[in-house]
Amino acid sequence: MTAAGAPTRDQDRHTVSARGVTKAFPGVVANDGVDFDADRGEVHALLGENGSGKTTLCKILTGLYRPDAGQVLVGGDTVAFRSPADAYEAGIFMVHQHFSLVSSMTVAENVVLGWHRDKGRVFNRRQVEEEVARAAERFDMHIDPRAIISRLSVGERQRVEILKALYRGARTLILDEPTSVLTPQEAEQLFVSLRRMAAEGESVVFISHKLDEVTALCDRVTVLRHGRVSGSADLRTSRVDARGLARMMVGRDIAFSRRSRVDALGDSEPALELRDVSAVEAHGTLALHEVTLSVRPGEILGVAGVSGNGQVALAEVIAGLRKRTAGDVTLQGKPLPSGNPRAAADRGLAYVPEDRLGTGLAPGLTVADNCVLKAYRQRELGRGPFLSRIRILARTRRLLKAFDVRGTAESLVRQLSGGNAQKVLLAREISSEPQVLVVATPTRGLDVSAMESIRSILLEAAAGGAAILMISEDLAEILDLADRIAVISRGRIQGVLEADGADPTQVGVLMMGGSLEDTGVAAP
Amino acid sequence: MNDSLVVELLVSGLLYGTPLVLAGLGELLAERGGVMNLGVEAMMLMGAVTAFWFSQSFEGPGWLALLLAILIAALVGMAISTVYAFVVVTLRANQVVSGLALLILGGATGLSSYVASVGELAGPSGRHRLQAYNLFGLSDAPVVGPLIFSQNILVYVSWGLVALAAFYLYRTQTGLHLQAVGEDPRSADAMGINVARYRYAHTVIGGALAGVAGAYYTLAIAPTWVDNVTAGAGWIAIALVITAFWRPGLLLAGAYLFGIVTSLGFTLQARGVDLPPEIFSSLPYVLTILAVVIVSSGWGRERFNAPAALGQPYTREEA
Amino acid sequence: MLRLPEIHFEKRLKPPRWLGPAMPPIAVLAALIIGGLILWASGRDPIDIYQRMVRVSFTNPGALSATLVAATPLVLTGLAAAITFRMKVWNIGADGQLMIGAVFASAAGIALDEQGLAVSMTVMIIAGMVGGGLWAAIPALLRVYLNTSEVLTTLMLNYIAPLILFYLIFSTTSYWRDLTTEGARVFPRGKTILEGAFWPEYGGGVVVPFGFILGIVLAVLLTVVVRSTRFGFQMRVSADSPTAGRYAGIRTARLLVLVMVLSGAVAGIAGASQIGDFSHRLEPKILQFAVFGYTGIAVAALVRYHPLGVVVSAILVGALSNAGLALQGPELPLGLIGVNQGLILLLVAASEVSARYKVVVGRRPRTGHGAQQAGGDLDGGPAEEPASGGVS
Repeated sequence: MTAAGAPTRDQDRHTVSARGVTKAFPGVVANDGVDFDADRGEVHALLGENGSGKTTLCKILTGLYRPDAGQVLVGGDTVAFRSPADAYEAGIFMVHQHFSLVSSMTVAENVVLGWHRDKGRVFNRRQVEEEVARAAERFDMHIDPRAIISRLSVGERQRVEILKALYRGARTLILDEPTSVLTPQEAEQLFVSLRRMAAEGESVVFISHKLDEVTALCDRVTVLRHGRVSGSADLRTSRVDARGLARMMVGRDIAFSRRSRVDALGDSEPALELRDVSAVEAHGTLALHEVTLSVRPGEILGVAGVSGNGQVALAEVIAGLRKRTAGDVTLQGKPLPSGNPRAAADRGLAYVPEDRLGTGLAPGLTVADNCVLKAYRQRELGRGPFLSRIRILARTRRLLKAFDVRGTAESLVRQLSGGNAQKVLLAREISSEPQVLVVATPTRGLDVSAMESIRSILLEAAAGGAAILMISEDLAEILDLADRIAVISRGRIQGVLEADGADPTQVGVLMMGGSLEDTGVAAP
Repeated sequence: MNDSLVVELLVSGLLYGTPLVLAGLGELLAERGGVMNLGVEAMMLMGAVTAFWFSQSFEGPGWLALLLAILIAALVGMAISTVYAFVVVTLRANQVVSGLALLILGGATGLSSYVASVGELAGPSGRHRLQAYNLFGLSDAPVVGPLIFSQNILVYVSWGLVALAAFYLYRTQTGLHLQAVGEDPRSADAMGINVARYRYAHTVIGGALAGVAGAYYTLAIAPTWVDNVTAGAGWIAIALVITAFWRPGLLLAGAYLFGIVTSLGFTLQARGVDLPPEIFSSLPYVLTILAVVIVSSGWGRERFNAPAALGQPYTREEA
Repeated sequence: MLRLPEIHFEKRLKPPRWLGPAMPPIAVLAALIIGGLILWASGRDPIDIYQRMVRVSFTNPGALSATLVAATPLVLTGLAAAITFRMKVWNIGADGQLMIGAVFASAAGIALDEQGLAVSMTVMIIAGMVGGGLWAAIPALLRVYLNTSEVLTTLMLNYIAPLILFYLIFSTTSYWRDLTTEGARVFPRGKTILEGAFWPEYGGGVVVPFGFILGIVLAVLLTVVVRSTRFGFQMRVSADSPTAGRYAGIRTARLLVLVMVLSGAVAGIAGASQIGDFSHRLEPKILQFAVFGYTGIAVAALVRYHPLGVVVSAILVGALSNAGLALQGPELPLGLIGVNQGLILLLVAASEVSARYKVVVGRRPRTGHGAQQAGGDLDGGPAEEPASGGVS
């Protein structure tokens, strides 16, 4: 199978192409002789698992990385991009998962940032604002050019990123997993805009690992696995077998740990309970509003929601890292003081934060130090004010073995791979035998095997009787692991559903701030 | 009227405030791009000593001696800040430590003192001094005369520069880019803005202005050399940038306020107020602490934040 | 258009072992070479001057003693800097803290009666610690409760502290001022402390001030505390990542105040040592001129804020200072010593980059972003460690 399923006779069809692109990082070949073409007027999916090299390929196409071997072609001519600015010149833009927006500036200011047409000129604010408003209207995106970025939702920011590209005359737009931060409905809206762009002759490259999105939106698909093109297809002409695509992507049938929900939880008292809990952000805006939740021993409660809707505040309030402004949190029936992380930990609460390196782990310290990050106060780890190195090392080795971490007690945490670092973090937290475990985005950014082992660690902990509150933006993961699903939007719990038989569309409505009545389902 | 206490204070406020305006404006531009240069004091001292040396040894008309002296001070400031920019922008060194290094290197007990001893500058008073103009013959007009119409060239230049900087920051795209570099260099870089180039350019402009500010001491305030002639003004300039919320207009007002406070001691003593001199001498420093405390704690914090990437080196994650 | 040199950085996973210890000597050597060029440019013979510097600081009779005298305050201010800079708390106020420590210690020394040397020294040391600690508590509390950058406040307090000393000696008839003789009333000076409270010196051929020994003891103590105690563990965690510290239940605000006050107290001991070891009375001009605090930062930075290393680098920098004072004159202007110290600090700061990145000049590195891990995910990438520093 060739990389381009579509005819390649006419070079003018291609907006951007890769020929034999190879790129290696220490220890791993991210791209290995990759061929790829994006054509005018099409939405082209770049499908692959995390770590398959699709983002690396796109960073090469947009001048962020330089290939070790192979070429990038634009309109049939070989180009050597030195920086993203060169790619812009050629009309190629990428919307990254992390947006390139200056949050203290307005939409209009961000749109013109770095745009050479206006360089050195007086900045005519009003004119730019009008132009931006016109472009937004054309692609049916609702954006106020005068709005400050920090006040926009993630979906709106994504629209600004796309607008920025269109304003500069993008011919090729590359989007890196754009739907991962959107509700299903917002994603629908995005698809409408992308189709309209393709209809106007632009070419859209859509990076994804979700098969349903690819079949719903795209014209062609190129699949990457382990840095190589493992297959491609024209979705307009060929009948596509989703299973076939999945096998191209994974190389085997996917078998993730799934919770068997047969074990009855009974009517046990909740291990963690929140009643009408509110909290604010550092700058005073409301982060959580009267949140009421409970988790029973052995249960996994999934908190679903688009990121930035109060999940961080929720986790921090429970862990005592943020003061609550109202409401009560009880652990094992006893009230927890507000804003006291030590008290929470002492009372059997473990917390795996979203920010692993920096919050959950001290990256510049050794694995051994990180294994006793909280336990260093325990009597048995030392004598009086002194710590015993021998005992710390013994405990560390035990943990590394039990959780199959590849790394030594003496290595620095920042030298570990993402998966191993997360395992160290989980090992420490779970080894404290917590009554309640709060985990935030536990598998984000990990490769498949690491993801798999993190999932089974969590399921094991729940089977052992821990009450787990799992925050995740990955709805599929929540559907796989959770017993019940609480949906959070703008700091409010929109509803709590049984995970069995939960309908993603229904969850989507809640994620966008709808209520259970809107979905036509009664609360459990 | 023109010798009333208030006018006298305002006039000397302008005299002592002007170097703060110049040095502060330079630091403001550098910090808007995310570079904090704690070596302002050192660049001022180096500007002061080289300008004075040149004006003492140059054989030629006074106006030319002064003009060239100011230019040399600016060049010296640029040279020092280029070294600093190389260390903190290209080599990504810690800005606090590097700034202090610059301070020890060029400061009161460093190169400026060495240059002064090589040039044997201590002692004699200068041959040239920046003279105040009598603009439109209005220098004797009540209040505005001494304040507005009879200042020296650097005062007028500093006013022009403040207006220029405000226009640059808010009304040009380059100014917009500078702010983006200081707020979010990663995004700025992704949008094709050369972060390092902006940081170099504005650190070096800052150095030039600090050098000229130093020259103001030995060419305008008192044309003579003593070690440590700036006496911590560089630090006050840095503090001013914070208390002015990184805004040129507010910087101007703040600088004159500090100028007035600095001169309060001499003025009141000349009028026979008998208080220990240390109390007046400490006022600018106490006021600086108070101002920075108010700005960083209270209402100011929410509305005008520091450039988000201030003091942080930027490394592109790239190949 | 400004053209920048093509310099690229490859992130290091593990810096080579020799790199850490090799950096300080390289920096010192480079600083001496640049300093030599400056000497040469101003028409002097750098080789000759350096030879004489070695003689007056090390090889002449009594030279080593003089060097240790110069190194004594630097060990202590170096330790003061090392404690806070390690934690990325920028206490630049050791100068002020030293002076206030000296005020307190001299007050104690004046007030003492014949209580015996051990008691009077203990009292003076504690007084110095209290003075320095209190002066450091001001910026610490402002930082914790009002979010004020300690860089600026500690600095401003450096300018205020000498004014207090001047006030006490020159503008009032305070407790510290000597009013016993006619001459002292006309030319103000500080009151001498009790003779029985003068600090002892040790050693036969080489005189070792007591303050220097105190510095060594403190350096060892601090090393043990940081390495092997629970409190030191808190310091190391918070130094690496304050957020992780808070997460681990460390009361970071309290820790920050403690560390600042501890640092100020150590600087205060330097002040007490100035009184007890050397001047025996409050000398505002000498203390203001000396800038022991800033020099202490250079001392600490040279050995990457390692307490034991501070002892060695204090001797080195002390030798430099001593040579500057001994050779002062038209041949070797004092300013050159500051130039050398500044250069050393600047070069050390600049060389930090080599520990974290491999610097490649001119040619593009073949691969980049070396922090990428085998088996790690390339799409997400490992998290960057948080950037440090910053005033606001």
